Amino acid sequence: MANALTLDGVTKRFGKVTAVDRLSLAIPQGSIYGFLGQNGAGKTTTLRMVMSILYPDEGTIRVLGEGNAEAVKDRLGYLPEEKGLYKKMTAAEILTYFGRLKGLGASAAKGRARELLRRFGLEDWADEKCEALSKGMGQKVQILGTLIHDPELVILDEPFSGLDPVNVDVMRDVILQMKRDCRTVIFSTHVMEQAEKLCDAIFLIHRGRKLLDGPLSEIRAAGDHGIQLDYDGDGRFLAELPGVERVSDSGKHAEIFLAAGADPQDVLARLVGRLSVRRFDLREPSLHEIFVHAVGGENHE
Amino acid sequence: MNDKTILVARRELVENVRTKSFWIGIFFFPILISAAIVIPILVEKNKEARRYAVIDRSGWLLAAIEQTEGASLAASRFVREDVGGDSAAALDPEALLEDLNRRVGDQELFAYFVIGEDPVEGAGEFKYVSSNLTDDGLLRWFEGLASEVVRARRFAASDVDEEVAAWVQKPLRFTPRKVVKGGAEEDVETQDKVRQWAPAVFAYVLWFAVFMISQALLTNTIEEKANRIMEVLLSSVSPLQLMAGKIAGIAATGLAMLGSWVVFFYLATKLIPRAMGVEPSFDLSVIATDPVFIGSFLVYFLLGYLLFAALLVGVGSVCNSLKEAQNMQMPVTLVLMVPLFLLMPVAQDPNGTLARVASYVPPFTPFVMMNRAAGPPTTFEYVVTTALLVLSLGAALWAAAKVFRIGVLMTGKPPRLAEILKWLRAPVGQVPERRE
Repeated sequence: MANALTLDGVTKRFGKVTAVDRLSLAIPQGSIYGFLGQNGAGKTTTLRMVMSILYPDEGTIRVLGEGNAEAVKDRLGYLPEEKGLYKKMTAAEILTYFGRLKGLGASAAKGRARELLRRFGLEDWADEKCEALSKGMGQKVQILGTLIHDPELVILDEPFSGLDPVNVDVMRDVILQMKRDCRTVIFSTHVMEQAEKLCDAIFLIHRGRKLLDGPLSEIRAAGDHGIQLDYDGDGRFLAELPGVERVSDSGKHAEIFLAAGADPQDVLARLVGRLSVRRFDLREPSLHEIFVHAVGGENHE
Repeated sequence: MNDKTILVARRELVENVRTKSFWIGIFFFPILISAAIVIPILVEKNKEARRYAVIDRSGWLLAAIEQTEGASLAASRFVREDVGGDSAAALDPEALLEDLNRRVGDQELFAYFVIGEDPVEGAGEFKYVSSNLTDDGLLRWFEGLASEVVRARRFAASDVDEEVAAWVQKPLRFTPRKVVKGGAEEDVETQDKVRQWAPAVFAYVLWFAVFMISQALLTNTIEEKANRIMEVLLSSVSPLQLMAGKIAGIAATGLAMLGSWVVFFYLATKLIPRAMGVEPSFDLSVIATDPVFIGSFLVYFLLGYLLFAALLVGVGSVCNSLKEAQNMQMPVTLVLMVPLFLLMPVAQDPNGTLARVASYVPPFTPFVMMNRAAGPPTTFEYVVTTALLVLSLGAALWAAAKVFRIGVLMTGKPPRLAEILKWLRAPVGQVPERRE
């Protein structure tokens, strides 16, 4: 399948700081792609370059087969991390305006705005000014604004930040719906659980450089297998057990990685009696663990 | 301009038209103009004839005054009431004075005069009694006539020939004449006086409009930044389109306001005096239809606004709050204040050195040249100053575009001037280093 987005040796510097360093990436059409990284890792800068809000100092970016992203701006939807609405415009007006800015005709934009508001249960609020909307409703309107022109590629910068659980589900459904419609979705996040549940593939960026990139299943398969342990009790002794290389302990849940040749059954035998074990399974590492491991390794260099 | 710029501009216009301050702006000026026209007419109409009385102890001066030409001319403005015959002896003088004082105090009379026994010698008591000493029209008029009569008597008493006396007294008068182009002389009409001063009024209104509208642009840019809507917009339009759209949309708002003012000014000067049954001594509405005034007014508004808009949109794009912007825009505001201080000196001497020099300073050009319209400036001056203005306008817009492009995405503390200058030299798309 063709690539929706290709980056080749893209570098962006802000003065002496290199925000994005020789980044190459290919994102296939129809996939959900997660951009992962810590705050300040270069996610937003990369996304801004894709949207041609910033320009790379070096390298090339091809979006939807075009070398010039300006030319395809109308086929892209973008939800920045910092987002807002005009307070004095009504929800329907602002959606119509965004649609028109993306090249829709006046009546098409108006019709599409009404349709989206109806589909997302905001019919009754269509003619209310944005300042009268609740925070959640405002966020919905912002998301609809990125979808108004039915874009082929949607880029969402931290779409889940600040959403309550109900709206997280709304956002998730929107992303999944777009995938079903064969759209490409790229979203950035630093919450690994979200990416783990949604993404087909991920890209991990740290200090402007790519650490990992590829289908989620492959990345997880390549990682060390570990023990997923749910328990009650004091788990501080876990790291000292023989054969245990490292432990990521959350208090009720721990991920245990064993040294080469160690037997998981030994570990289990030593746990019994000291902890109340609710779940013990040997499986691929969580994305969280992969992330911490990758970033941690990088930091120690 | 392309479609997206027009869309942005249209949204700005629609949003501004919906605000209260726009309508306050639309109606503020007409109300002011109407008041300026209606109130003087009302005052003139309601000015009652001044009633006064005279106690003439000389026995002849009052009668002589009443026979002069000046007395009959002012008969409608000043009405004299008899106080028991011309000879004061007919009544007890004390009682008469008391009675007059009471009547003046009760506002039945505006004032009364007491003429002494011998006006020619200046002997006796001469006084003017009124409860209102600020309005001295009656006093000056009566004094003038009385002096004229007494002067004639004095000449007669000192055996000066009547003709000689008339000759000595004849004042020297300068007839005001106006020279038009080509050296021909014309009579001075009231209209010319209005023409002399109208440009100053226009320049003031122009200044006010430029100030108000460019401030609106600044506030609007900052609000958009504070609202975090900037980046959403930038995913659809380029920074240049966004900036151009904002500047154009607010220019349209300003022109709509000014247009309504001009139309209203014309209607008001034409209709209000007629509606109130007054025939104006001159027709103010000719100014509203004078293409030189109105044309240069609108053109200078546009150019002046664009220049300050470019500066303020740049300021707005790097600020995160109105408070920051107030500090940052200080230099721009100071420059904008100068033409306001030049207003009076330039109006008094439209072709003086000060006016001419100030015309060549681009930020002052629109206001000073408007102010000089009565001069009027030479064609050479019009061409050169406008060219300079357009050139610096181009430079300002170019710089604003560069600052805007970087500034709108910036958060944190506003940049220092040195940093902004660095941005100007940076190629498009490059963001120079900044130290937080």
